[in-house]
Amino acid sequence: MVSKRAKAGVILSLRASIRSVRSSFPMPNDALRDTLAEKRWLHALSEGDPAALGAIYEIYGERIFRYTFRMLGNRSDAEDATAETFLRVLRRSAELRADGAFRTWLFRIARNLCIDKMRQHKLMELPPDAQYAGAEEQSTLRVTVQQALNDLPVEYREPLIFCDLEEMSAQEAADLLRISVPALKSRLYRGRRALRDKLGSLIERTT
Amino acid sequence: MNSEFYKKLVDLYAGRELPSELEDQMEMAAFNDQELSHDMSTLRRTVDMVHAEPAPEFTEESYQRILIRLYASGIDPQPKSPIPSHFQYQLPIQG
Repeated sequence: MVSKRAKAGVILSLRASIRSVRSSFPMPNDALRDTLAEKRWLHALSEGDPAALGAIYEIYGERIFRYTFRMLGNRSDAEDATAETFLRVLRRSAELRADGAFRTWLFRIARNLCIDKMRQHKLMELPPDAQYAGAEEQSTLRVTVQQALNDLPVEYREPLIFCDLEEMSAQEAADLLRISVPALKSRLYRGRRALRDKLGSLIERTT
Repeated sequence: MNSEFYKKLVDLYAGRELPSELEDQMEMAAFNDQELSHDMSTLRRTVDMVHAEPAPEFTEESYQRILIRLYASGIDPQPKSPIPSHFQYQLPIQG
């Protein structure tokens, strides 16, 4: 006969196992829960609650930072642009809609800020941060790819960042840039060819 | 072959957007055409290199500096979990 205490111990250890499995693997409803949470925060923000900005920053801060870093090529300007993006979100919170268009709207704000910054400071002439660690050869290769990307005209660089690096769908990237999907794909393909030309001998050596 | 059509096929091949049968046909065609082979392999390698590019690291320092900029602009964003509190706790299972 198993005692009540032993049964309780088994139940407790089972619950702990379930909790640890749950934290290791995203459950199917996690994405739905996250979407619902995001909608609630966006709703709070649209009603002028500045505290909700913290939650929106938690959700999107990293993605916006990555995008601005890739556009501007250095950490300090990327931090400035990310902070300014969220400040603008708060200032324009009356325009907010808690639907799928929010992400596009947010990235568009970040994009406009990056383009303004590039125009003001001619940042494309600055070398990117040497942020890539690893074996020397691999590191050189990555810096070269990053530099070649930075050297591309913005109209080619943006589709590469959105589609090849941020893995956005062609439709979402096209919406963001306010162009058609065929126009986006045309820029993407031209951008890839231009990048190949810039990488030149590096590509030949690694093929 | 029309050169625009040819370029488009190579673009799709490089981005791995072609169905596998068509991709095989392209590779067969490239076997006897050095120029096509070069175009296909270098462009695909370029796309692979871009995909392999590591994401810029969003460090704790960057996270904090951005928050400080928000505070400096007179906003208290009160960073919190992306999940509202009522979603964070699960009620004990009844019955």
